[in-house]
Amino acid sequence: MSELATLARPYAVAVFKRAKETDSAKTWSKNLAFLAAVLSDKSISGVIDDPKIGKSALLTLLLDICEGQIDQEGSNFLKLLIENNRLGLITAITEIFETYKAEDEGSIDVDVSTAFAFTKESKQSFNTTLEKTFGKKINMKIAVDSSLIGGVLVRAGDQVIDGSVRGQLQQLAQRL
Amino acid sequence: MQLNPSEISDLIKKKIENFDLSTQVHTEGTVVSVTDGIVRVHGLSQAMQGEMLEFPGNTFGMALNLERDSVGAVVLGSYQHISEGDTVKCTGKILEVPVGEALLGRVVDALGNPIDGKGAIDTTETSPVEKIAPGVIARQSVDEPVQLGLKSIDAMIPVGRGQRELIIGDRQTGKTAIAIDAIINQKGTGIKCIYVAIGQKRSSVANVVRKLEEHGALAHTIIVVASASESAALQFIAPYTGCTMGEYFRDKGEDALIIYDDLTKQAWAYRQVSLLLRRPPGREAYPGDVFYLHSRLLERASRINAAEVEKLTGGRVKGKTGSLTALPIIETQGGDVSAFVPTNVISITDGQIFLESNLFNSGIRPAVNAGLSVSRVGGAAQTKIIKKLGGGTRLDLAQYRELAAFAQFASDLDESTRKQIERGQRVTELMKQNQYSPMSVAQMAISLFAANEGFLDTVEVNKVLDFEAALQSYMKSEHTELMTNINTTGDFSSDISKGMRSAIETFVKTHSW
Repeated sequence: MSELATLARPYAVAVFKRAKETDSAKTWSKNLAFLAAVLSDKSISGVIDDPKIGKSALLTLLLDICEGQIDQEGSNFLKLLIENNRLGLITAITEIFETYKAEDEGSIDVDVSTAFAFTKESKQSFNTTLEKTFGKKINMKIAVDSSLIGGVLVRAGDQVIDGSVRGQLQQLAQRL
Repeated sequence: MQLNPSEISDLIKKKIENFDLSTQVHTEGTVVSVTDGIVRVHGLSQAMQGEMLEFPGNTFGMALNLERDSVGAVVLGSYQHISEGDTVKCTGKILEVPVGEALLGRVVDALGNPIDGKGAIDTTETSPVEKIAPGVIARQSVDEPVQLGLKSIDAMIPVGRGQRELIIGDRQTGKTAIAIDAIINQKGTGIKCIYVAIGQKRSSVANVVRKLEEHGALAHTIIVVASASESAALQFIAPYTGCTMGEYFRDKGEDALIIYDDLTKQAWAYRQVSLLLRRPPGREAYPGDVFYLHSRLLERASRINAAEVEKLTGGRVKGKTGSLTALPIIETQGGDVSAFVPTNVISITDGQIFLESNLFNSGIRPAVNAGLSVSRVGGAAQTKIIKKLGGGTRLDLAQYRELAAFAQFASDLDESTRKQIERGQRVTELMKQNQYSPMSVAQMAISLFAANEGFLDTVEVNKVLDFEAALQSYMKSEHTELMTNINTTGDFSSDISKGMRSAIETFVKTHSW
């Protein structure tokens, strides 16, 4: 996992720089997402790992699949990955690219787990609170997890803000 | 002890009452791999070097390798229940251990938990394990002695409060014995002792504890144990733990003595951890920072001035200096002091006590090699009377060593050479001392005086120790006043000299041995 990130980082940085130059972050984001989706498909991943299929055959196959979905630079990137035998990195590259993109836009991806579903107003107010804490725009993903018992658990990258009843009970258990 | 249930529920109730419901903010990571106590964690971008990490199951680890996407950590304790995918939390704290008076007389592990079955330790304070040593401004030079209670060491290789004196020698040369005698001799002096056992058999540690208990020396001693069966990480941390406990006393204007038994094993443990963390190996496969491992530890043994003590105690203690004296132990292989770790530690410390197995086997115990042993700062701290009388001993032994090769041609030698050899033989004999029988300053002074003034010259070599024993018991019963006088003042005046001379003269005339 950590090794993958190390390998994927130069690719992601390159893609991100290119996207900034040509002002095409959105297209790149789409390109990468599509590639990641294709390559994570089980039947495709079997083909990729098949030593009997040569690089050129693989390229033709993948380009056929992606026809119309990715632009010229996207297919160049795909060629490069095949050339370097780094197709497996595509998910990691996409992840890192998205964090760079979010950082650049001044927003942050936040996973919020809550014991009970938010009402519209509470969601709005929670969003503003988070924006204040992080000082960035918030892309909130909300999931309901009843095992929290009450409260919310916020996850932004490595950072975790645990305001759930479950977390507090765990703290109490440890203190005793 | 019978547990009182209501008491416990009350305690729990109180804890629940006082429990503050805070929202926890922390950074999290995921375990990527667990190999031989080394855990690689993905994430934890905020982790500090040396930070405590919390693993599931109330296990803690220490972050040692900070990389771009991952953190390499050692688990402190058992790691069998940790698996890939577990979450790891940052605690935001550097590893801390309990410190305080309550630890005296106890046996604890490398994290400060009691392991002697005497119940919980009532300490309120904790202190980080890794601290920066006091700076230049905070220090004071070494000028007070630590009496180890061994004639040969106190006379020739004196140790001062705040000094670092290495005890080095092969296996089975009596390194630990010197350390234990030193602890026993601190009874009633106010010097607190810390004995750190690293990578030793639990049975040996139990032996040490029992011996200290027998001689009433456990009450002023803390014993820190990271036995051979414990993880390498704990063995590598144990000396720092002990040092932190000793610094507590130093920083409040008291004196402490710490013994690291032994740093060779700590270096081995650190080598193991480093290699598993994939740090590049260097000489003898030790990592590049093995010197720093020992230098930063031994640099914390120091004497600090009264101003610093006042600052550290917030003005509660005034006009008192604090000291932490260190006696690190290094085990050599076949007398090879030029191996990596021994040379490092020799260069860090303020002198060394060199023990030799052939001396030990020929019955000279403690097996101190007087020629190779030195104390670079202890001379300034030595008790006056011992300094005065011990100088002759050192010289006698040095001259004897030069001539010792001719000893077998005794009949063909000129008068002065023969005399020197005989004096040397007697002094060598006099330097022998039994284990667990440390001597007071006055006792040493009498023995050294007898040797210096030639009273031993008429005694047969194999009778020297009998002579000494008889003399000591005579002095104890007949000249108590003189002995207390020497012990309290420590000065060598003409009165004392006369007193000793006349006492020994009467003894020689009236006693047999």
